[in-house]
Amino acid sequence: MRIGNVNVKVSIVAIAVFVVFTIFLLVASVFNPEVRSQLIWLIPALFMLLVIPMALNYMSRREYADLEPQYAAVAKTVRVKLINESMIGKSVRIEGVVERVYFQFLNRPQYLVADRSGAISVKMFTSTEEDIKVNDVVEVMGQVIHRYFVSGDPVINCVSIKKLKKPKKEV
Amino acid sequence: MSQEYTEKDGSRNRSIEYAVPILSFGGALIGLLLLVNNIQVDTHIPILGSLFASFALAYLAWIRPRKDIVALSTPVYSIIFLAFPLDNVSAFILEVLYAVSLTALLVRLKYRFGAPAAPVLDKKELLDPLKSYVERTRDVLGATGTEPAHSATVAFVRFAEGEFLASARGAESAIAHLSDLSAPQVIQHAFAIVQEQAERLDKTLPQPESFLVFPPEDASLLAKIPDPKFGRSEEYDTALENALLVLFACAWTASETDHSFLLQCQTFAQKLLAP
Repeated sequence: MRIGNVNVKVSIVAIAVFVVFTIFLLVASVFNPEVRSQLIWLIPALFMLLVIPMALNYMSRREYADLEPQYAAVAKTVRVKLINESMIGKSVRIEGVVERVYFQFLNRPQYLVADRSGAISVKMFTSTEEDIKVNDVVEVMGQVIHRYFVSGDPVINCVSIKKLKKPKKEV
Repeated sequence: MSQEYTEKDGSRNRSIEYAVPILSFGGALIGLLLLVNNIQVDTHIPILGSLFASFALAYLAWIRPRKDIVALSTPVYSIIFLAFPLDNVSAFILEVLYAVSLTALLVRLKYRFGAPAAPVLDKKELLDPLKSYVERTRDVLGATGTEPAHSATVAFVRFAEGEFLASARGAESAIAHLSDLSAPQVIQHAFAIVQEQAERLDKTLPQPESFLVFPPEDASLLAKIPDPKFGRSEEYDTALENALLVLFACAWTASETDHSFLLQCQTFAQKLLAP
């Protein structure tokens, strides 16, 4: 769903929660007359279970869209092998192939992106603009951070991930 | 961020970061212990842990240039919990959920609003295979003077930090000063390769048609040999990695005062050495 220039996505978890509580409400209102009298505020509250995640996704996607040109101005294009702990906080750009995708269903996708020199984890804290799959050749832009908050190997806190060309076909 | 960030500030802020989950979960744990042992105390007491944790989180959000309104507003919720305490069981459940929320907000604050963490110091000595490489090249690189060796430290460390322009300038300056013919030629070649490639990295330029590489006579001092099946790109990348490793080995061998800086970048040097 597009709102302005932002492609808003609701995670499957939010949809599942909405569906579950809708069923609860339907069952409760059938068997309990008291619930029926409260529907006037229960139904709007139910829809907030979808509206709030959508609004949060829209706000975070728009914020990332605003950040993208700032990062583009300062990010250096490097090979994965050159990214190390001393670069924590630096803005970087890498190009590579997506080898693995995790947590896309939570709207907090993580990717393992590899180039000739190595592979690195790319974490994004909002949904992506495009649908990124395994074997897609992508350009990633973001900031180098520790994997676990204050420790762990360096990973990329992704601000932008875009496909560069058609995905490779497996031989 | 232009504000100066001292080591003391960093240490204090890290302590406050640890205090957030410790205080919030600690208060919940105290509430649980009181509940299990049937000790009747004011329910406000366990909630105080969450209150202090909220203020700690709000402080951490306040000192950052970009303010996180969610973290800043957590003391309001904890004051509400304090003002309207529930029964013991409900209060304990609420405290646990609140502690989880505070911890999650802290992680979010670090990832989206926080200053980068300081690099973790490596062990106090070199580890293999880097150590073996440095030992292998010690006889030749040990003839380098202290000043060029320090320049090698600067060029390597700046490169590791992603300060490619500074690394290139450091290498350029070192080449200009390397008039001492007793310094191994391999060092000059290494500085030249680092200067060329660091400048291109800073400007995000692609690999050039022709580029500097080590001559055959330097082969015995190099850590890696490019695999010809990967073509010119592999040769270009390997030249840079070899150059950086030569600078590291030279700096380690001939400039003992720079060991602490080099140890901080040891992980990077080990990574360069890997195939």
